[in-house]
Amino acid sequence: MPRLYFDQAATTPLDPRVAAAIRTAAQEFVGNPSSLHTDGRAARSAVEHARAQVAALINAAPEEIVFTASGTEADNFALFGAVAELAPSGVRLVTSAIEHPAVHETCRHLGRQGATVDSLPVDSEGVVQPEFLADALATPAQLVSAMEANNIVGAIEPIQELSTIARERSALFHTDAVQAAGHIPIDVRTTPIDLLSLSAHKLNGPKGIGALYVRSGVAMHPVVHGGGQERGLRSATENVAGIVGFGMAAEIAKAEMAHDAARLVTLRDHLIDGVLARIPGAYLLGPRYRRLPGHVCLAFAGHEGEAIKLLLALDEAGVAVSTGSACSASHRSQPSHVLRAMGFDPFRARGALRATLGRFNTAAEVDQFLQLLPPLVSSLGSITTLRTSPSNER
Amino acid sequence: MPQPISVADLPGLNCGVCGLRTCADMVDRLASQPGYLERCIHLSNHRIGAAGSHSDRPAAPKQAAATAPQVACTASVPCATRSAPATAVPFRDSLDREFDFYLEHFPEDPGPREILIPHNPMLTRELAIQRGDILLGRPLGMSCGCPITHCGVAMEVDLRTGVIVWCVTGPLQTRERGFKDLGYYIAEGYEGLITKSRVEPKIGMRYFFQPRMCMLQWRHSGLVNYLNRTAAGWQVRLEGLWIG
Repeated sequence: MPRLYFDQAATTPLDPRVAAAIRTAAQEFVGNPSSLHTDGRAARSAVEHARAQVAALINAAPEEIVFTASGTEADNFALFGAVAELAPSGVRLVTSAIEHPAVHETCRHLGRQGATVDSLPVDSEGVVQPEFLADALATPAQLVSAMEANNIVGAIEPIQELSTIARERSALFHTDAVQAAGHIPIDVRTTPIDLLSLSAHKLNGPKGIGALYVRSGVAMHPVVHGGGQERGLRSATENVAGIVGFGMAAEIAKAEMAHDAARLVTLRDHLIDGVLARIPGAYLLGPRYRRLPGHVCLAFAGHEGEAIKLLLALDEAGVAVSTGSACSASHRSQPSHVLRAMGFDPFRARGALRATLGRFNTAAEVDQFLQLLPPLVSSLGSITTLRTSPSNER
Repeated sequence: MPQPISVADLPGLNCGVCGLRTCADMVDRLASQPGYLERCIHLSNHRIGAAGSHSDRPAAPKQAAATAPQVACTASVPCATRSAPATAVPFRDSLDREFDFYLEHFPEDPGPREILIPHNPMLTRELAIQRGDILLGRPLGMSCGCPITHCGVAMEVDLRTGVIVWCVTGPLQTRERGFKDLGYYIAEGYEGLITKSRVEPKIGMRYFFQPRMCMLQWRHSGLVNYLNRTAAGWQVRLEGLWIG
């Protein structure tokens, strides 16, 4: 049986059309984009074409896109770069309790450097309600960072409202759109976003390439110094093949978004409904509908402590999903900070099963998953013989 | 009588994220299924609420999650621990209960050292468990009742009694190298280092302590039956374990 890859929030498989573009670029563009000769200019032209493709995905101008080596670097650049320009030691930064470590840890680092960092709560579905930010900005802040969509529970955040509130209070607004870009529409012309992080490998592009959108007029301090590439904002010889692949992935995502999203929502809802109907005690984490098109996050009442066994059993059965991990010496195995912020106790905050679908998953695969999962869950040793109702799982 | 929703009332992005290809399809669907409007991610709760009677599930004001933090994380209070105020007293577990010391694992060990016995001690022989094997199991029962399945690597094996000493390491090795499943086991003792304590530990005394790597961050209690002061801290062995 072919393996089922249901871990698309971790990374997506490379689209064959993108792979072809990368192969061609790697062979054809031998020059350094900064070189003045013909080979260099050809590489430059390819980079700029890709920049326009990436910009179009979020309705930005090409010159507002700065390529980085990853989404994580884009987040670091956004926060360090903005804070350094604002005033290194006098900045108040507001972020949310459910950010990806790329933002969360960067904020901690800025805090150690003297910035004041305040963390917004979320509701029980993992959503930062606009009033939470409005309340927080009763005290002036210079920078707000809130993710476009959450990687753990898939919640789509009210970025239009949040960014508008930030703009009204004269704070820069950054959003980590790594999970969202290419999957839901983003328009930086109609949404007052100042900084936005992107990553190619979350939209069927290559790993090792990301970008930061920097709204025209926003002052940024570089964090990578050197030869002055990317308008002096991010030095390093450009990853031409990766950038070309990113451009192609962005163009495909933009062109096929409506088709992919409608199809994935149908698959997602079929998966959610199927699990809830087949497995007593199963419950959904995050919003029912205002979630990423292919994103499912479930837990199983009484089995939360057995998450590692479920992952291993699914892996053995040929299914790649993501889940909490068993008690560990590793920092990474701490209960999910996202689920903790949503109000789950530490036990339940580590028992989630994340199944995320993408462009190449099919209805037949979802049906196969729905056949495989129930017997695996029922084979786990439940912590209780009681039939626990999902409604009191918080 | 409410006005029916038209395409002009919708964002017009035809993005597919509601599950339908176009906003026109949404309008058609709303005629028979008014609640479908909440699937439009571009409409705020306020705007869906404004549609009022069109929605079969009116928007309600949202509350922050019960345990959601509202306290600033600062240089001295990192975000990960933001639920505690900046002046938080240490030596409190995730349920706000006091304890006496943190139990750290030995630096030379891959993880916290635990002495266990399978509920069926014959498993140690039947599974031919030996040093270096990756094991999986949950500490069921009066000692110590943790609801979490643990993964670790066997350090010492006593085939006569079935007792195993392992270091809890987390799931990564389990995935990479395969594992032997103990099912349920009894946690008989812990060994480790005390580097942060609010009391001077004494042999023969029972203490509340916090295993540093406990992912639930629940306090445990146990009886100290070995104690040795070193430059790195107190080497300690605890038996008679309980959670809480």
